[in-house]
Amino acid sequence: MALWDEIGRRFAYLFRRAPFDRELEEEMRFHIQARADELEEAGAPAAAALAQARREFGSSLRIEEETRSAWQLRWLEDLGADLRYAARSMRRNPILAAAAAGSLALGIGANTTVFSVAKEALFSRPSCRDPQSLVEISVGRDVWIPMAQYRYIKDANLFEGLGGANIGMVVNWRLGNRSYRLAGTHVTDDFFEVTGIPVAMGRPIRRGDTDVAVITYGFWKNRLAEDPNAIGRVLVLDDRPYRVIGVLPRDHRMLAGFDFIPDLYLTKDTSEVMLYARLPQGMARSAAYARLKAVCGELDRVFPDVNRKWATGLRLSAVDGIERLRENGPMVIPVAAFFAMLGVVTGIVVLIACANVSSLLLARALARARELAIRMSLGGSRGRLIRQLLAESLLLALVGTGAGLLLNLWLDRLMSGIHIPTPLAIEPIIQPDGTLLAYSAAIAFVVTLATGLAPALKGTRSGIAGRLQEGGRESARAGGALRNALVVGQLAVSIVLLSGGLLFLRNLLSAASFNAGFDTEHSVESTFQTGAHSPREFAALVDRALERLRALPGVEAASPASAVPLNPFLAFNRPNVKFRPDGGAREVRVEYNFTAVGPDYFRTLGIPILEGRAFSDADRAGAPEVAILNENMARRLFGGTRAVGRTLRFPDNHDVTVVGVARNCKYVTLGEEGAAALYAPYAQQPDRANVHFFVRGRGASAAMVRRVDESLGDLDPTAAVDTHSMHEVFHGALMPSRVAAATLGAMALIGLLLASIGLYGVLLYAIHQRTREIGIRVALGATPGNVLAMVASESLRLVAAGVAIGLAAAAVAVRPLAMFLVPEVRPGDPLNFVAVACVLALVAGLATVAPTLRALGVDPAVALRHE
Amino acid sequence: MGSDSIPELLPGTLYLLILRALRGGPLHGYAIVKRIKEASGEGLQIEDGSLYPALNRMLVKGWLASEWGISENNRKARFYRLTREGRKQLEREAGEFDRLVRAIQLVMRTA
Repeated sequence: MALWDEIGRRFAYLFRRAPFDRELEEEMRFHIQARADELEEAGAPAAAALAQARREFGSSLRIEEETRSAWQLRWLEDLGADLRYAARSMRRNPILAAAAAGSLALGIGANTTVFSVAKEALFSRPSCRDPQSLVEISVGRDVWIPMAQYRYIKDANLFEGLGGANIGMVVNWRLGNRSYRLAGTHVTDDFFEVTGIPVAMGRPIRRGDTDVAVITYGFWKNRLAEDPNAIGRVLVLDDRPYRVIGVLPRDHRMLAGFDFIPDLYLTKDTSEVMLYARLPQGMARSAAYARLKAVCGELDRVFPDVNRKWATGLRLSAVDGIERLRENGPMVIPVAAFFAMLGVVTGIVVLIACANVSSLLLARALARARELAIRMSLGGSRGRLIRQLLAESLLLALVGTGAGLLLNLWLDRLMSGIHIPTPLAIEPIIQPDGTLLAYSAAIAFVVTLATGLAPALKGTRSGIAGRLQEGGRESARAGGALRNALVVGQLAVSIVLLSGGLLFLRNLLSAASFNAGFDTEHSVESTFQTGAHSPREFAALVDRALERLRALPGVEAASPASAVPLNPFLAFNRPNVKFRPDGGAREVRVEYNFTAVGPDYFRTLGIPILEGRAFSDADRAGAPEVAILNENMARRLFGGTRAVGRTLRFPDNHDVTVVGVARNCKYVTLGEEGAAALYAPYAQQPDRANVHFFVRGRGASAAMVRRVDESLGDLDPTAAVDTHSMHEVFHGALMPSRVAAATLGAMALIGLLLASIGLYGVLLYAIHQRTREIGIRVALGATPGNVLAMVASESLRLVAAGVAIGLAAAAVAVRPLAMFLVPEVRPGDPLNFVAVACVLALVAGLATVAPTLRALGVDPAVALRHE
Repeated sequence: MGSDSIPELLPGTLYLLILRALRGGPLHGYAIVKRIKEASGEGLQIEDGSLYPALNRMLVKGWLASEWGISENNRKARFYRLTREGRKQLEREAGEFDRLVRAIQLVMRTA
């Protein structure tokens, strides 16, 4: 492209300006000499010839100037000059400049970090070959597909490859005479070949491999102490030897996304898998869908299932980007909402910082009003002056963004060290990249305009003549109005931030003293998972485990259950069923939390039975089916009438008798309200390979946790056991609230600090402007009280306006936060707003003190000479 | 040399003249002026002041390239030559110029 060549040539010029000038001079000398030679040949004396040649050539300086300008990129050089000028004027007032850049850096650092983390959490690209042609498959409305069906689809050879994985399985690792719980991902032997997941050391799992494992970097580093001979080492997993054949790279990201990371991948047949298919080159998703649909039609004939029509709800979805988010919809919404909230909050902090910087630049532009007016009257173009003033804000924005990025890198490193001990751990890997740079550049651009445009326009407006006469006082007043508006805006958004922060703080406080409806101080929970057993064997195993647990010192009660409250990963089944109470015609649809529990469950967790009875040993398999409802469920099904003794008919026409009503408690989240629950006797539920034991003791000490853990581990060395006190489980549920309170609180404090600096600056400036007026008043007999009232009323006016606007905005803005809060903390609570207004008034008062002292110290004799 | 006897250049024709002067081969700045003056039968005189800015604008546009060499009087001089881009530009501008001149002449004769 000719244009690009031209820009390239101009750019090259920038780096050879000195030789260019030398050569041009030489060339012009030659020109003059050549002309002189010619004149001499025509008969003129040498000296006269040279003189005439020079005369004819004209001003070589002007020619040089014009010739150079043929090469110059005017705006670029102007920009350079403007930036140098701006840097000089910053250096004259380094503290103000540092404060301005520093406050920008805080806001931008926080905001870009939220961007980095959100991008990583939601949009990170999984480690695999060519994610575009890799799809995750749902069959029969579910991503989980039994092994037999998986093999059938695989044998149909629809795709280039079809691998299966079961993420997040607990694996029991036996080392010496101790066992450790690992998070393992069970994979089919072709999973690595289909996905093309890269390994850092050794090799990936290949077709035909059995009893092999590929370990993650973290496992190799922390559990195997970076063993250089890890490849070939044998790990005893679930009582079976596995050979380690590969180590994954440090930045391995699972296909599941969200920075989940297991300890290892191992070849093991599991009951069901998630399917990943590699589409052949050039095969469109629609074509793949059609072929899959045909095979699933055959599945319906080969594996008829009343509950699952294989050929319905087929989906092929991408393993990254927005599609993966949509696949994980219910899980993603709160996470995305959380990031969005943080993004908005940190964005507000950037805006507050911008207001401070803008205010500072405005003051500076007005102080230079006279100079600017003179330059304009001498013919300086307004556009040129505006550009020069904008250069200052550009410089501040660049410095602020640069420092913000450094803060971002530091915070990223900090975050990347985090290990969130969910059952399948989350370890963020946050790395800076091009998108972050582009995002930061966009922010710097917005900040430049937001901070610089108003002062630049304001500083170069209004009549030149008036300016020269007034010394800029007229426009100073106009600028004062803008600065006041900025401070009011800052105070208002600080109120919004503070309101949010206070809500989360109250949430944390009330949640800590919050009654989940069960006793969290005296109970221990243990998740127990074995290989496949027959139902009878498993029931016997559970009975033996209970015997052992009850025999432990300090244990008062123990019970099995099928779910753990407040743990979204071991959550309750949530059926949505149309019941017919009393077997009548009336149908009531209820979505409820289902859990199967042993007779002592209610005693163990301290959940009172309000009516009827708890389960007993008589409620066993074969005995009449019974259930206990919580209050919400009983009310929904039977209105206000007594529920005990009534029957519930399920849609498949089997009846269950209600034997008791238990008090409401929390099931999945602390924030849920009015949740329904139905308990069934554990003994009446069919086989499971895993169960949770709840144990009540005099306390739930670490020693108690260990005793329970060891006791169950010894019972079945092949079982994976994971034990926690209920206190710990409960605190895990508080974590999001704690993170939100900390982040939002920090942001609110920074915002408040910046806003109070803004207020302080504006008041100080206003007093500086009115020094003469104050002096006259004092000379005429104004008392210190009058002066105080004058400054205080100025401050009060700004604060009152800010608080009023802020409260109105906050009342609307905090409403969506309800989804993160326990019901006891209502976003609309007036008490919140009163508290926030008080905090703001207090801080504003502090910011007013110094300017007031300055005003009181005004000496009339000095002030009257002030100009 | 009185400039009042020499007609002013039509705007935009300076580039065309320089390009045409260089068609015969590389020349230094002074030689370009001379070539144009001679070829026009002393009818056109390029201002020394506008020559070098024009040459440099043409370098920026890539129509010309320059290199240092030795002049006929054994002095070091900078020679300019046409690039391929410059040749194309010459053809374009010469064609346009011809059309313009013919059109003007037509008007002058008939209108």
